[in-house]
Amino acid sequence: MLRPFTLHRPETTEEACALLAGIGEDAVPYAGGTELLLLMKLGLLRPPHLVDVKRIPELSGLTDGGRLTIGATVTHRALEQSALVRERCPLVASVARHVANVRVRNVGTVGGNLAFADPHSDLATLFLALDARVELVSPGGRRELALDDFVRGPWETVRRPDELLSCVRLAPWPSRVAAYVKFGVHERPTLGIAVALTVNGRDGRGAARIQDARIAVGCVGPRPMRVAEAEVRLRGVAADQVDDVVGAVGDIAANGVDPADDMHGSGDYKREMVAVFTRRALRAAAARARGVEPMIGFPYAVVA
Amino acid sequence: MSGQPFRAVGRAIPRIDGLEKVTGRARYVTDLVVPGMAHAKVLRSPYAHARVRKVDVTRARAHPGVFAALCGTDLTWCEPYYGPAYRDRPVLVIDVARYEGEPVAAVAAVDEATADQALDLIEVDYEPLSPVMTLEEALVPGAPLVHTGTPQAGHFADLASLRAVPGTNVCHQFHFERGDSGRGLASADLVLDETYRFPPVQHVALEAHAAVALWSETDGLTIWASTQNPYSVRVELAKMFDVPLARIRVVVPHLGGGFGSKTYAKLEPLAAALARAAGRPVRLAASVAEAFQTVRRCAARVNVRVGFGRDGRLVAVECGADYDVGAYADIGPRVVQKATYTATGPYRVAAVTLDARAVYTNTTPGGAFRGFGVPQLAWALESLFDVAAERLGRDPVELRRQNFLAHGEEFAPGDTPIDGKLEESLGRAAETIGWTQAGTADRGRGVAAMLKASVAPSVSEAIVRLHTDGSVTVLASAVEMGQGTRTVLAQIAAEVLSVPMARVIVVQPDTAVTPYDQTTSSSRSTAMTGRAVQVAAEDVREQLLHVAAAELGIAVKDLALDDGAVVAPSRRLTYAEVLMHRFGMSGGEIIGRGIVAPGRTAAPLGGSTPFWEVAVGAAEVSVDEETGALRVERYVSVADVGRAINPLLLEGQDEGGVVQGLGHTLLEEMLYQDGHLLNGTLLAYRVPRADDAPPALECRFVENADGSGPFGAKGAGEGSLIPVSPAVSNALARLTGVRLRDLPLTPERVWRALRARRRR
Amino acid sequence: MDDARAATRIRLAVNGRSCDLEVASHALLLDVLRDVLDLKGAKRSCDIQVCGACTVLVDGMAVSACTYLAIEADGRTVLTVEGLADGESLHPLQRAFLDAGAVQCGFCTSGMLLTARAMLTETPAPTREDVLHYLRGSLCRCTGYRKIVEAIMAAAETAR
Repeated sequence: MLRPFTLHRPETTEEACALLAGIGEDAVPYAGGTELLLLMKLGLLRPPHLVDVKRIPELSGLTDGGRLTIGATVTHRALEQSALVRERCPLVASVARHVANVRVRNVGTVGGNLAFADPHSDLATLFLALDARVELVSPGGRRELALDDFVRGPWETVRRPDELLSCVRLAPWPSRVAAYVKFGVHERPTLGIAVALTVNGRDGRGAARIQDARIAVGCVGPRPMRVAEAEVRLRGVAADQVDDVVGAVGDIAANGVDPADDMHGSGDYKREMVAVFTRRALRAAAARARGVEPMIGFPYAVVA
Repeated sequence: MSGQPFRAVGRAIPRIDGLEKVTGRARYVTDLVVPGMAHAKVLRSPYAHARVRKVDVTRARAHPGVFAALCGTDLTWCEPYYGPAYRDRPVLVIDVARYEGEPVAAVAAVDEATADQALDLIEVDYEPLSPVMTLEEALVPGAPLVHTGTPQAGHFADLASLRAVPGTNVCHQFHFERGDSGRGLASADLVLDETYRFPPVQHVALEAHAAVALWSETDGLTIWASTQNPYSVRVELAKMFDVPLARIRVVVPHLGGGFGSKTYAKLEPLAAALARAAGRPVRLAASVAEAFQTVRRCAARVNVRVGFGRDGRLVAVECGADYDVGAYADIGPRVVQKATYTATGPYRVAAVTLDARAVYTNTTPGGAFRGFGVPQLAWALESLFDVAAERLGRDPVELRRQNFLAHGEEFAPGDTPIDGKLEESLGRAAETIGWTQAGTADRGRGVAAMLKASVAPSVSEAIVRLHTDGSVTVLASAVEMGQGTRTVLAQIAAEVLSVPMARVIVVQPDTAVTPYDQTTSSSRSTAMTGRAVQVAAEDVREQLLHVAAAELGIAVKDLALDDGAVVAPSRRLTYAEVLMHRFGMSGGEIIGRGIVAPGRTAAPLGGSTPFWEVAVGAAEVSVDEETGALRVERYVSVADVGRAINPLLLEGQDEGGVVQGLGHTLLEEMLYQDGHLLNGTLLAYRVPRADDAPPALECRFVENADGSGPFGAKGAGEGSLIPVSPAVSNALARLTGVRLRDLPLTPERVWRALRARRRR
Repeated sequence: MDDARAATRIRLAVNGRSCDLEVASHALLLDVLRDVLDLKGAKRSCDIQVCGACTVLVDGMAVSACTYLAIEADGRTVLTVEGLADGESLHPLQRAFLDAGAVQCGFCTSGMLLTARAMLTETPAPTREDVLHYLRGSLCRCTGYRKIVEAIMAAAETAR
């Protein structure tokens, strides 16, 4: 059960930030509560003040304007079911569909997910590959940072106590094919790999080639990370020859991580799985580049 | 029997508690509200092993809204130790905390929030000690001792000869032999010597332990408890508080699962002590995380040496098994001896030496869990059987068939002869899975068989009351924990007395009302409690027939029961009419008694098993070699049950047993590190979900009416779980050539074994 | 701003009936349903949103009542297992669970029924994969799931 707290329900970001600044570290933002209330029940956090941000219209939007802007209080379920998201970034909808379970998705928010910075977060790994930028608001103004600069380590972000994560913006989408694969037996995945390829010449003459690639690996380190060397390896590769290089790319990705031993597995098992699932994610993305929807599944894995 | 088809027995009658469960009206202990009840919270040791110098509950006791705050040294007004094998477990820590999570102090307050706050006010002075966390650590000569004194024996006759090894962490040893196994192995053509490990796992009943205790001057102690054996709890409480048995009343509403976790006293003593101290009823409900700190399965390390002749005959078995029973013995010693006694499984073997030890460690106490020690041994022996088959160039099904005990064959002198047809179960399993048909290259099939005894001696008693309108009340103390026992008891009474199910009521177990039943466990409720109900109903029938015979002037042998009446050709007396004749008025009831108590025998464990549980499992698996992830695509379970009193309920039970078995086979393992349990919550302890169940799951039954239970029934419910791990592992071995000896078969373990195989 | 211990008035419809309640900010929906409204069908089990035994529907959406502030239900409709049947007439899901033998100890049953109800509203013609996906957060330790899945598929069929 929970210890008593005072619940504040501001209706603007200004009000919310003023509360956070005014009360200080005794106040925490509260949206879906899927992580916060759990920590409070376990007695790990006992904040005297909760600032409920769900009544702030500015935080609940899901808009397209060159970049897809997802408000902090948009739930995973809303993301999954949004016609806009399904049209513009279907991968985001399919990844959202597989986060935790249906009850958590109904209530848990994107902002809460990113601000909590669980190293096993599917959305954080995916968004890293989609050049996500988060916006933070405070009484002092707004700042926007790359997601990579926002997340510092396990359950640690650069958000100051008086700041509120207001939205996350995803990169423009043209000609981008992507896939996300997660693997693991436990409640939280053992690893998540997001692959996003910018393929040019799809409609023109000549072979379609990978112009740019993003590979993000999550769960096996303190925070999701991109593997630059693996990304570089893919540049210029013909889209219909990706299968020839997946092995090499997978190996590079595996060498780029240094997983610790834990209940998800030993470091070298996880490293090997990074190679395996990088290959599988790439094959799925390559299939999409060819206009084919990958139908293969793997035990204890989700291919989104 | 008349040869007529049954009215109730053998039919998929809807369970009598189904409606209340789908409408949310079924009541479990945590749903009960007793006026004035206080709410309890428990402070638990953060250390696996620590001297507790001082516990100061003064501030907690003084906190507004607190009715009682207790620590171990406060319990001067009762016997603070309990336990069915050894009375080694204190209600609250006294001197030494022996496992992480052990109750150190407890508070009863006006509500949970207050109790929770009061816990913060308790000061405990711990002096950490070196813990022993594994069998290996506990067995090192000179290892820290979990227990330093000699505890008294608990209340079970079969454990009167507990054999601890003084100065060590071995709290019980069991030895069994026949023939000369040394010579057998020496003369065998094939000898295999392997060690297998079974992890500590938790039952994860969705309803954790709970009790509401209420003392009253007139009635003594009443306790509503989520327990599988109210009578065992009663004995513990009577001893603890020095109160006559008749003044302890244990009432059992629905259980939200048990699986053995709720056998023998767990939280009831603490609830009762708090209620005594608080002077008001106390509700003590554990969380699922606290259940991980209350009881688990005994982990095991099993070394088995088997000797086979070239012709495939099993000639000798030697087994050395160490079971980790955790910090307190609970029923661990019986788990160890009873399981080891049947370590040789369903096979004929002349020369046998079996040794087992129950070993203390500073971890959650190990107790009863579906299978009762046999899964751990079957994991080893059934895996070895396949290894032998491969080495001998024999089909694993055929090798088993060759060595199976036959129907009617002796298992051990003085014990019940085998009452099942192992070959029939094996044949059906093999046929159903398509054993002799070509499979696909990406799948492998494996089988495993098992044999298990039920607890003996044991006692079950029942009362059946026939009312003036012909309706029936059944009084029996078998606990409903989902398996459908109470529906089955109603079916038996309905069948014997030829009344509709809707007119049979089975009251909840209540030691003030329903007579003695030893335990709801050991797959025994249909065979034993059911038999007691049958005998009691037959007693009612006899009385009905005799009254009717006298009234009608017809011999008893020419009368029968039919549809609520005593009938003869052209005569019919309803039960109402019979009772009217019996009592000369509209009133009264006919009461029947049934007592099933086979008693002690010359069998090695002191009692002859009332039936043998016999089952076979067959698995078909696929593996993702790149990750080691193993999927069970298809599973067939065949159980030899004598008579399925309710086939739908039985099938449901066995489907559940298979999937629970897949838990420890593929997913479940309690992980400890530096003295701490890492995964004592469902966030990190992985039980099977709906998508883990095999897409094709078939549970079948052999029914030859050859049991001593009602209508030829035997027991069931554990046999479906026990073969799962070896059947799956055997399938993996046949598919990939890798043989694993440690459970669970995690993807990483499989992956490593596949890599090692590839390197060779 | 509310004082931590002050209660807030909320109004919600529970199983079709309007309820006016005063709840503390930190009160969990599960406790309000069970202890204030005497609706014991939703159960506390894992308490961490993994098992689904506490599932209720808020505005048709499955939520873990154990981790949902009662105050969030203000102005909303809540459906518990007690509201599934229409008087004495069982919901097709309840009927299907009984017929299939999908109930054993019953502790997961309320959550399973409500989760299935939410799913069928969203996906009236589910495939087996849809059902397994939806049940990922609903644990059962007794049945092995086979009869639960069968019951849900049968109820979907009946409802169509």
